[in-house]
Amino acid sequence: MTVSFILNGEDVSAKARSVDRLSDLLREAFGLLGVRSDCRCGRCGRCLVFLDGRLVPSCIVPAFSVRGKEVVTIEGFAQTEDYREMVEGFAAAGVETCGFCEAPKIMAAAALLERTPRPLPREILEHTSSAPCRCTDPEAIVKAVQAVAELRARRLYRRAGQ
Amino acid sequence: MLASDVHFAKDLADALDIQRRRPGILVFAGGTDILREQGGRGISLPAELLCIQSIPELRRAGLTERFLEIGAAVTVAELLELGDSALPPLLAEAVRGIGTPAVRNLATLGGNISCRSRFMDSWPALACLDGLVELRDQGGATWMNVNRLLGEDGKPSVPVGGLLTRVRIPLDRWDVHALRKVGPRSYPTPETAVFAFAARAEKGILAEVRIAFAGEIGLRSQALESSIIGRSLPLSSREATSIAEGYKSLAEPLPEGLALQFGSLLDGALGLLSS
Ligand SMILES: Cc1cc2nc3c(=O)[nH]c(=O)nc-3n(C[C@H](O)[C@H](O)[C@H](O)COP(=O)(O)OP(=O)(O)OC[C@H]3O[C@@H](n4cnc5c(N)ncnc54)[C@H](O)[C@@H]3O)c2cc1C
Repeated sequence: MTVSFILNGEDVSAKARSVDRLSDLLREAFGLLGVRSDCRCGRCGRCLVFLDGRLVPSCIVPAFSVRGKEVVTIEGFAQTEDYREMVEGFAAAGVETCGFCEAPKIMAAAALLERTPRPLPREILEHTSSAPCRCTDPEAIVKAVQAVAELRARRLYRRAGQ
Repeated sequence: MLASDVHFAKDLADALDIQRRRPGILVFAGGTDILREQGGRGISLPAELLCIQSIPELRRAGLTERFLEIGAAVTVAELLELGDSALPPLLAEAVRGIGTPAVRNLATLGGNISCRSRFMDSWPALACLDGLVELRDQGGATWMNVNRLLGEDGKPSVPVGGLLTRVRIPLDRWDVHALRKVGPRSYPTPETAVFAFAARAEKGILAEVRIAFAGEIGLRSQALESSIIGRSLPLSSREATSIAEGYKSLAEPLPEGLALQFGSLLDGALGLLSS
C-alpha cells in the first residue's frame, strides 16, 4: 500500500508493506539513519520520533498507521532552535553520552519541556527513561534540562516585559 | 499470516459495521501490546485489522459529578494529562507505571484492559474503584464491571468479537488506598504484577474494602472482602493476621515469589487499617 504523510515538514509517500515498521521505512525508504531499529520492541528508545507532536518508539509503530500524520525524526528536529538549545544545555552541564542515546535523550527532554516548562528532577528522569542507557550521569541530565527550562522561562519573561 | 487489509474506522458506527462484516477482525488501538513481543524484522499481524485510534467517540474523556468516563482509545499519556484533580489517585498511580512516557503516548486504556495474554497494570486499580467497561457489538451496548474480566481460572476473560468503547469510574471517596507494582517496572514480565487496595470507613467501622492483585493471573475475592467489612477500626493485629490467613489460599495459584510479595503487600495494606 502507499502511505502518504508529512516527514520532517515535507509531504511524502512511500510504498509500505503491512509487515513494515515505521523505523525500517524511515531508514530504508528515506535514508534517515538517525532512526535506529535496534530492539524492535519499544524498549531501547533509539528509534524515537515525534508522531503528531508526540514522542513514540517508531519500531512498534506499523508503517501503515502513519497515513495522514506528521513524523519528525532527529534529522528534522536537529534543524530547530529547540534542538540547538538542548544540545548546548547538554554540553554546558557536562552530559556525556555514548552517542547512541544522545539524540533520543535530547528528543525526550524536548518533549517534556513542550508540556512541562518547569519539570521536576523526577519528571526529567522519568521522561529521559524513554531512551534508557547507563552511559549518562542522571544528575547531569537533570541539570541540563533544568538549565534549558530556566533559559526559556527567562526569555519568555523578557518578551512579556517588552 | 500477514496483514493485507487494514480498515481505518472513521466513527463508531463504521467500526461496528466493519466488525459485523468481518467477524474475528483484530482490533488495533495503540498496537503496543500487539507488537510488544515481535522482535523480528517484519511485523506479523492477522489478515485483517480494524484501526480504532481515530474514532472520535473513543477519544473523549469527561468528568461528571459522579464518575469519570474515558473513551477506550484515549492514550495513557492523555489520561495522565487530565491531571490529579480529575483522576482517582489509584488509577493515576497505576497508569503512571505503564512502560515509558514514549510507550504511553501510543498505549490506550482500552488496549490495556483488553489484553488477553495477561492482566496489564490498570486492572487491579479499576477493580478496586468498581470500574465499568462498555462493550459494544451489533447486539447493542453492555456495561460490565471490570471484575467480570477475571475468568474463573484467574486469566483475563475479555469477551471476543466486540469493541470496548468506554470506561466509567465512580468518583467515590476512599479513605485509604495503596498501589504497588512488583517485578520489572517498565515492561511486563511473568514477575511483574500490580497490587491495589482501597478502603472506606463510616463511623469507625470498615464500610468497604477492595483488594486486587494481578499479573499473569488476577486475584480478587469479593467473598473475602465481604467477610472483612463491618469490623471496627483500627483492626487488631490478631484480626489483621486472620484476614491475611484467609487470603493465603487465594494466592496459591501464584508462583512462590509473587505469593510472598502479595502476602507482604497485603500485610502492609492491612497495617493501614490497624493504626
Ligand atoms: C516497551 C513496552 C513496555 C510496556 N510496559 C507496560 C507496563 O509497564 N504495564 C502495562 O500494563 N503494559 C505495558 N506494556 C503493554 C502495552 O503497552 C499496554 O498494555 C497498552 O496499554 C496496550 O494498549 P494498546 O492500545 O497499545 O493495545 P493494542 O496493542 O492495540 O491491543 C491490545 C489488545 O487489546 C485489544 N484491543 C485494544 N483496544 C480494544 C478495544 N477498544 N476493544 C476491544 N479490544 C481491544 C487488541 O485487539 C489486542 O488484543 C508495554 C509495552 C511495551 C511495548
